[in-house]
Amino acid sequence: MAEAIQLRSVTKAYQRAGESLRVLDELELTMAGGTFYALMGPSGSGKTTLLNLVGGLDHADSGTVMVGSVDLTQLDGSELAAWRAGNVGFVFQGFNLLPVLTARENVELPLQLTPLSRRQRRAQAERALQLVGLGDRMDHKPSELSGGQEQRVAIARAIATDPQVILADEPTGDLDRSTAAAVLQLLQRLNRELGKTILMVTHDPQAADYADKVIHLDKGKLGRIDANPGRG
Amino acid sequence: MPWKLLWRNVLGHPVRSLLTVGAVAVAVFLVCVLDAVTSGLTRTLNAASANRLLVQSAVSLFVDLPLSYQQKMASVPGIEAICKWQWFGGRYEQDKGGFFAQFGIDADTFLPSYPEMKITRGSYDDFTKQRTACCVGDELADKYGWQVGQTVPIMGTIFERTDGRPWEFTIAAIYHSDSPAVDNQTMWFQFDYLRESLEQGGAEGPLGVGVYMLRMAPGTDPVAVQQAVDAMFENGPQRVQTTTEAEFNRQFISMLGDVPTLLRLIGGAVLFAIFFAVLNTMLMAGRERTRDLGVMKALGFTDRATGILLVAESLLLCGLGAGVGIGLGLLAEAPFAVATAAFLPGFGFDERTLLLGAGIAVVVGVVAGVLPGRRAARLTAIAALREVG
Ligand SMILES: Nc1ncnc2c1ncn2[C@@H]1O[C@H](COP(=O)(O)OP(=O)(O)OP(=O)(O)O)[C@@H](O)[C@H]1O
Ligand SMILES: [Mg+2]
Repeated sequence: MAEAIQLRSVTKAYQRAGESLRVLDELELTMAGGTFYALMGPSGSGKTTLLNLVGGLDHADSGTVMVGSVDLTQLDGSELAAWRAGNVGFVFQGFNLLPVLTARENVELPLQLTPLSRRQRRAQAERALQLVGLGDRMDHKPSELSGGQEQRVAIARAIATDPQVILADEPTGDLDRSTAAAVLQLLQRLNRELGKTILMVTHDPQAADYADKVIHLDKGKLGRIDANPGRG
Repeated sequence: MPWKLLWRNVLGHPVRSLLTVGAVAVAVFLVCVLDAVTSGLTRTLNAASANRLLVQSAVSLFVDLPLSYQQKMASVPGIEAICKWQWFGGRYEQDKGGFFAQFGIDADTFLPSYPEMKITRGSYDDFTKQRTACCVGDELADKYGWQVGQTVPIMGTIFERTDGRPWEFTIAAIYHSDSPAVDNQTMWFQFDYLRESLEQGGAEGPLGVGVYMLRMAPGTDPVAVQQAVDAMFENGPQRVQTTTEAEFNRQFISMLGDVPTLLRLIGGAVLFAIFFAVLNTMLMAGRERTRDLGVMKALGFTDRATGILLVAESLLLCGLGAGVGIGLGLLAEAPFAVATAAFLPGFGFDERTLLLGAGIAVVVGVVAGVLPGRRAARLTAIAALREVG
């Protein structure tokens, strides 16, 4: 069973012009392992902030963030880095591949933080690229790939270390509808076939349809959690 | 550490990397050459013998002293031998573009006073016995393919033969010196041959002596001899200045100004400039890679690792530059040493010079990498990714 995610009374505020802006306010949220969640809400509602806390990129001001049995609020900077390397994969809106590396090398990058040998890393990167349907584009640089292909390389990179949790921040935001559909189907497959827990931020209700459940966030407070009809 | 990324980042901007490497290479090359010159000067000074004094005109090295001084100085206690040195300044007919020094000297006291010199071919005895003989350095002989017994025509410029023909010196001996005190590209001939020619009307030119070398007996106080000689000619006809060989060399070199200090200043300025060039490159590299660094941190690379990556890139550029610079230096060393042998016999790269070049590269690399490296380490993944959307 993949790891569950639990946020207990999580508060996160930003200081701006001497004023404290509460982005997340005593947020309570439980997500089941192995489930595909879509996170929706108006711009500025704190979706990215929430994702960053769950991904160990940022610290909560108070409360606890549990991923599996690990309380992320107890880890310091380098412990968080090590935790991220093995437990979570990120997919960003802007793809964010390293331009000087080929697709294969981009996917291999997080594997450099594992004790795998060079050959094992290569094999695992190729497996991940084949899984996302890019077995024939491994030696291409990002500039030689389409947007959809770039995002699939980014997804391959996110799953290269076989993390249980995948966090995606508007992964289809820069893609046209049919390309986006392919990426969403891929995420769905990762959830269904590999049992990954996925939390995906999106503005697009059609994208949210691919998820099992939709979490609504508004002004730092949790709205409803919908189970998608006909799914899950 | 993702070393491949390091290379790719450097190769990703080939022109910028090449320019930076080139700039470091030129700087390292320059600093190595400057250092070799400075240490060459030092070596030459250090090789100077403590028991040789040199007497020159108090006015200038270019003013001759009378021949009669030799007799008078011989009476000063502690002086074991005296040898005249007269600059001949002739031109070798077969190589009008080339230059080497010729001196008229006293054959009987010359070699015994310069034990640094070893006769490798021919015989010094023959040199002393034959009026028109000469003794040449092995580098000079090898350069022109001279053999013992061969006659070398030298056209006089200061001392011209009345028949308009070149002087002819027969090679009786070839010497070699391992000490920078004596170079291996000089031709020595008998001062007496020059004097006879001038006295008998075979040649025209000033009859005098540029420098008298005084060899002191072991244990002699050089200061006492210096003072005695200087005092002897206090009232003319030509006042003299007596110095140790080291001091003489130093003065000769300082006719060009305070060379070592000047060279060090130039070297320092070059380093300063190169430091900013590398720093600029690395700051640019660090900035444009903000997003990459943010991604790497999100993937789990530590602050330390990302900082080191930039320092390593800076080191790589400087290391490549140092490699090229030192390589160029080694290629240029031999021709440079030959070209400067006459006035800088000590020129040459030693391990210290090469270590200096490599050390500079490491220091510049680290220092120029620290600033962008620190920025990279402090950057948070969130800030880096937000900055570029
Ligand atoms: N580093 C920061 N400093 C100050 N304010 C911040 C910072 N990061 C986020 N905020 C603010 O916090 C609020 C929530 O930001 P967040 O990025 O989580 O929103 P979001 O729901 O992801 O919005 P969007 O849909 O536009 O991406 C916003 O008002 C934003 O301006
Ligand atoms: Mg956002």
